[in-house]
Amino acid sequence: MVEQLPRQRVRILLMIMVIVALAMVVQLIRVQFGPYAPVFASWVEAASDTEDEVEPTRGLIYDRDGDLLATNVPLYYLEVETYQLNPVSIKQIAGVLSRALILPYEDLYAQLKRDWKSQGQFRFRLTREITGGERWPITIDQMAADMLRSFLLDADAPDLSGLKTVPAPKREYPAGTLAGHVLGFVNQEGQGFFGVEGYYDDWLAGKPITIDRGYIPLEARFEPDPPAGVNLVLTIDLDIQQMVEEILAESIESSGAEEGEIIVMDPRNGEILALAIYPTLDPNHYEPWLEERGYETEDLESEEEELVINPAVGGQFEPGSTFKVITMASALDAGVVTPEDEFIDEGQIEVGGIRIRNWDGGAWGPQTMQGCMAHSLNVCLAYVASEKLGASFFYDYLDAFGIGSVTGVDVAGEVSGQLRTPRHPEWTEADLGTNAFGQGVSVTPIQLLAAVGAIANDGIMVQPHVVRAVVGSEGPYWPKPTVLGRPISRDAADELTAMLTESLQEETSLASVEGYDLAGKTGTAQIPAEHGYDPRWTIASFVGWGPLPEEEFIVLVRIDRPEISPWGSVVAAPIFRQVVERLVVMLEIPPNDVREDLVQSDESG
Amino acid sequence: MTGRTVLPLIAMLVVGGMYLAVNSRLAKTGQRVLILQDEIAELQRRNAELTATLASLTTPDLMWERALELGFHPASTEEVEYIIIENYIPPEIFVAPLPPSSGKNHRSGLSPAYTETLGDWLSRWLGLGSA
Repeated sequence: MVEQLPRQRVRILLMIMVIVALAMVVQLIRVQFGPYAPVFASWVEAASDTEDEVEPTRGLIYDRDGDLLATNVPLYYLEVETYQLNPVSIKQIAGVLSRALILPYEDLYAQLKRDWKSQGQFRFRLTREITGGERWPITIDQMAADMLRSFLLDADAPDLSGLKTVPAPKREYPAGTLAGHVLGFVNQEGQGFFGVEGYYDDWLAGKPITIDRGYIPLEARFEPDPPAGVNLVLTIDLDIQQMVEEILAESIESSGAEEGEIIVMDPRNGEILALAIYPTLDPNHYEPWLEERGYETEDLESEEEELVINPAVGGQFEPGSTFKVITMASALDAGVVTPEDEFIDEGQIEVGGIRIRNWDGGAWGPQTMQGCMAHSLNVCLAYVASEKLGASFFYDYLDAFGIGSVTGVDVAGEVSGQLRTPRHPEWTEADLGTNAFGQGVSVTPIQLLAAVGAIANDGIMVQPHVVRAVVGSEGPYWPKPTVLGRPISRDAADELTAMLTESLQEETSLASVEGYDLAGKTGTAQIPAEHGYDPRWTIASFVGWGPLPEEEFIVLVRIDRPEISPWGSVVAAPIFRQVVERLVVMLEIPPNDVREDLVQSDESG
Repeated sequence: MTGRTVLPLIAMLVVGGMYLAVNSRLAKTGQRVLILQDEIAELQRRNAELTATLASLTTPDLMWERALELGFHPASTEEVEYIIIENYIPPEIFVAPLPPSSGKNHRSGLSPAYTETLGDWLSRWLGLGSA
């Protein structure tokens, strides 16, 4: 009896072990050959192909004060595991999704009912039909994804067995249309186009890495993160941007114009504080914007260089009278004229075989150079360029001012404008006469701003830019302002600024702001047509800077095809004043008398 | 079946059982790690969503509208009074945060305590491997 007991115990123990072993074998067989075997097999297949490319998080974009301009938010794809579907869940998934997302029930039902298993597919992504019969994956936002997940966890909720939400990042621009043209946009594949998104695409996108993904719990580990894209801090001040965009939109509406731009820049360092373009662009919804302009989304990559998305850097125009600033600056710097030099305006001048007349067709009689600028006399400026400067000097100066070259502004899509110099086979002497007052030469708004900015900055031309800091894994990097050159001397810049300050006070009072000394020049440019110039429409512009003597801003206003008046002095000058009136408050620039008091108290203190 | 044959069998089964227990704990820990990784990713996504929502609720456009509704208007040059403040400290320049994966002490894997196999341990114990 004593010997029997251990033997019996051993038998019982062995039996228990056999039962446990049998249970394990049964479970193994069930996993290997049961109804979910293909699902497990697909997981194993996925896990065996462990190499996976991980896209890093795209860098964020902020304005100069830290307001978020571009970020990444999750959106979710809807995927279905076919082996988890059942007749009830097929109907209820189709029903819930059609009601929640306002999609046709029949389409969803047909996708769910399809025999995916026979095609060897155990997981598929739900799609919806878009225009032209094309199908795109259905995407939902966080709130909708949360709702579906709560249904999956709730026994009393509709049966959504088999439905999965798969996250993917989506670029979001919280400020909507504000600064949309500066930012550009990112397409569905995560590629940046235009603006900062296009220019800094490689930096923002980061570098994808290939990792061995650990799907099996035993191999679980913290996956290495790919080097994320850099974060950018822009020079844009979103409050100034909002103010400028608002003024621009109101002005376009009140003037009956088609398009327009206002750019505000600090001429001392080239920082662009605001760059407003009308019509605005909402980077969150760039496809309809492109379609409205006849561009195809598919053409973005192939024809990016041809598309003019941002007219501030990619839109060329004949600048008209604002260009006289460059001509006079060159003449003053070359020492061929002084502000007091006299010119007898007879109402026309012949240069290279063509007759050049004034904007009003009149003869203004004896005028100083100051008067020529104040009254914007084409004849006088053509005389200065042809008789005083000469072609060689004139075009050397234009080259020094960067006319005909890109400025290198860090916004994608910049073009160089068009300038025919004497080296060009089609150049004639007549070009010299017309170029002098801004005809026959094309510039971009940013190019004109950079060139005139040199006059506002004591003759030093600084590269315009919109990125203030680049923050990478090593910390922030603050690019220094890039000096593009010194086209004219400080004396010449001061002389011209004084001339334009006087003319603004006397002749362009619509642009002046009480309490501040400003300099500026109007422009009314004709629009080239197939044969000559468009008889009806003009481009009204104004470029001005201030406050003197320590210039802190330069503002360029361009209004295309205004209906109320063709003249820059009537349409663009008041817009300049509106902008500056608000700008001086936002930049905390006191009026002249207060600044003088501050300087005096500082000196006495 | 005698005690001499059963005892080693039981010993082997006990060792096997212990090994299975350790492995199952390891699998559970691994599964927990995977779940935590998913939770981290989910929280990061929600954080991004909330940050974007906050940013869209405080855009200058909306603040402008709200200010107008409250009866404010843009200050004109005549309405602004400038005063000298002794030892004025201007606001600090904004510096954007570092990108998310730029931590220097990046964790590239779990502690070997969780991943070391018996073979690894034996090799280490016998001084054969580099572990």
